[in-house]
Amino acid sequence: MPISRRALAAAFAVCVVLPLSACGSSGGDGGTADASGKIEGDITFQTWNLRANFKDYFEGLIADFEKKYPGTRVKWIDQPAEGYADKISADAAGGTLPDVVNVSPDLVAPLAKAGLALDLDKAAGRYEKEYLKGAWASHRIPGMKGTYAFPWYLNTGPLFYNKSLFEEAGLDPDRPPKTYDEVFAAALQMAKKTDGKVATLANVPTIEDFGRYGVQLMNKEGTAFSFNDAKGVELLTRYKELYDARALDPQALTATPESSGKKFLTGAVAMNPGSALDLGNFKKQAPNLYKNIGITDQITSTGHVNMYVMGVMVNAQTKRTPAAVAFAHYVTDAEHQMSFAKKVAIFPSTAGSLDDPYFTKQDGTDETRVRVAAAKSLKNAVNYTPVLFSEQMKTALRNEVAKALQGKESPEEALDNAVKACNTLLQQQG
Amino acid sequence: MAMSTVSRVRRQLPVSPWLFAAPGLLITGAFILYPFVSTLVNAFTDRRTLVPGRFVGLANFRELLNDEMFWIGLRNSTLYVVGVVPALVVLPLLLALLVQKNIPGITFFRSAFYTPVVASIVVVGLIWVWLLDERGLVNSLLETVGVGRVGFLSDQWLLLLSAMTVMVWKGLGYYMIIYLAALANVPRELHEAAAVDGAGAVRRFLTVTVPAVRSTMVLVGALSSVAAFKVFSEVYLMAGPSGGPAGEDTTLVMLVQRTGTGLTGRVGYASAISVVVFVVTVALMLLVLRADRRDES
Repeated sequence: MPISRRALAAAFAVCVVLPLSACGSSGGDGGTADASGKIEGDITFQTWNLRANFKDYFEGLIADFEKKYPGTRVKWIDQPAEGYADKISADAAGGTLPDVVNVSPDLVAPLAKAGLALDLDKAAGRYEKEYLKGAWASHRIPGMKGTYAFPWYLNTGPLFYNKSLFEEAGLDPDRPPKTYDEVFAAALQMAKKTDGKVATLANVPTIEDFGRYGVQLMNKEGTAFSFNDAKGVELLTRYKELYDARALDPQALTATPESSGKKFLTGAVAMNPGSALDLGNFKKQAPNLYKNIGITDQITSTGHVNMYVMGVMVNAQTKRTPAAVAFAHYVTDAEHQMSFAKKVAIFPSTAGSLDDPYFTKQDGTDETRVRVAAAKSLKNAVNYTPVLFSEQMKTALRNEVAKALQGKESPEEALDNAVKACNTLLQQQG
Repeated sequence: MAMSTVSRVRRQLPVSPWLFAAPGLLITGAFILYPFVSTLVNAFTDRRTLVPGRFVGLANFRELLNDEMFWIGLRNSTLYVVGVVPALVVLPLLLALLVQKNIPGITFFRSAFYTPVVASIVVVGLIWVWLLDERGLVNSLLETVGVGRVGFLSDQWLLLLSAMTVMVWKGLGYYMIIYLAALANVPRELHEAAAVDGAGAVRRFLTVTVPAVRSTMVLVGALSSVAAFKVFSEVYLMAGPSGGPAGEDTTLVMLVQRTGTGLTGRVGYASAISVVVFVVTVALMLLVLRADRRDES
């Protein structure tokens, strides 16, 4: 009997104390920021849903690295796209974050704040000049000094439109809209002519849309959001007009990029942003659409298109800093980015790579036309999504935008509320 | 003799019962007790995914009271219980009565009704999204008969109703099996006696079948109310990660997921919501059991 009481008491104590102990520091025994030592040892490298299509490329890359630096061994882990941030969260909280991790800027920010991303300005600053200026800067965090990931591949894309739907609505399929005014006018005409059966756009405006429209997203210090300015209200007001006229798909309020892509494939919407990758998709999944596909430039009021940046981060806690930094640089150097770009429709972030004839010479095909146009626009493209803009903030903005479109709030109220919610979340992030 | 052996073993190896129980205790401790206590403790901290928490007392619960999204979640989860539970208590019973008789080919129907239970919720969700889409099969049919398109996936209330329909449709087969087992124990003589007394089918259902399976109905009510209050997948798949237009279809568990996951997740606040979900779930169970006891007495 005494044993059972003691055991029960011990079990209870363990249950109470263990969770409390989890409230301790997430730091642990860290590695060093010095990357100048001998490049050797075992490291792990995590990619984001790349094994299925690029297994041979990465196995070759790793084998070449191990050959170049005898005594190194790279263990490659690939994680599925779904729940990638959650996987990194679990690893980071559990102290099992791989040495080299494929990340996007918004994933780097919290990791850097938690002291888990290596400052590359200190550890690998000598490589900075190898990359495009904007790309290197995309992994800087407002309020922090340093750069926290090597820029890897970039992507941007044109705006696709369905020529036959344009024609049916009395729009000239060979003169697609080039400005926001023209997009909104075309959308309203499409809705009127089809009695609201065909929408032109399938998505509500996101933070990058506000950025491309010329809205000031954050204050200069990067300490507070400011997209509720007059320009922001103007954009949302115009989207409300589209929504009321059914020029914006009724399911736009709950749409995801995947669902709006499907709407475009089935001819339910007339325009959709995409990338060079989508052309292959259209060819395979919707041959009729492919025959009628129109391609125009991304709409922007700022002169800069939006770009997506992928990065490679080094775990600040790694025990093999020289090998991890060397490998992260090896993956992202000009030679390997170029060879990767020839396997899939992405664009290197290394200086000068976009001047390669592969990105400048036309060969008459649509794929090359999209690639050349995208490469040209990337030279002065901007990643409009602020690195501090978390998933929770995206949801807050999306919900407020939906309220404005439904008429439950005015565009001003909605954006004021969204900015307030995002600023609260920003403060809570610390 | 047996007793003396047990006492001998107990005397010689006082820890032996614990050794036998250890695997089960370890698993329960690691996967149920520890996460439960951890959630309870976190609910009183401001812990975030990558930032250790500080004790903040009842601050998270006070914040809940002023969080519009929490009240939306509570409303939707409650509506879910109100809409889904009666359907899942009654419809599977009627279905079980339909397929109870052993006539040729009945196994096919039993299997068909059970199929949605074994189907993946993701697959089921996608199929229903295709069916209820603005240009889906259901809307095409409605348009053909002149009703016009209905915004099943764009209207906040219709979306909730659609998600409830999916949950009921998917759960019918499971509860049907439970009812089939209960119906097999209803003495045939009772039905025969009622029939001799001139009771029709409806009367026999109400006076013989329902009282005989009452305890099973309570069990189904308890199980389905807990499942309905904790709904996540159906609404997530149909209303999208944002929880429907302006988040108006968000349920409490969706809110836990949205608030507490990711690199910037507010683990402390999400834990506080989880505690509320736990308390309400336990209360629901107690309510159903108390109602049953009162009926019995």
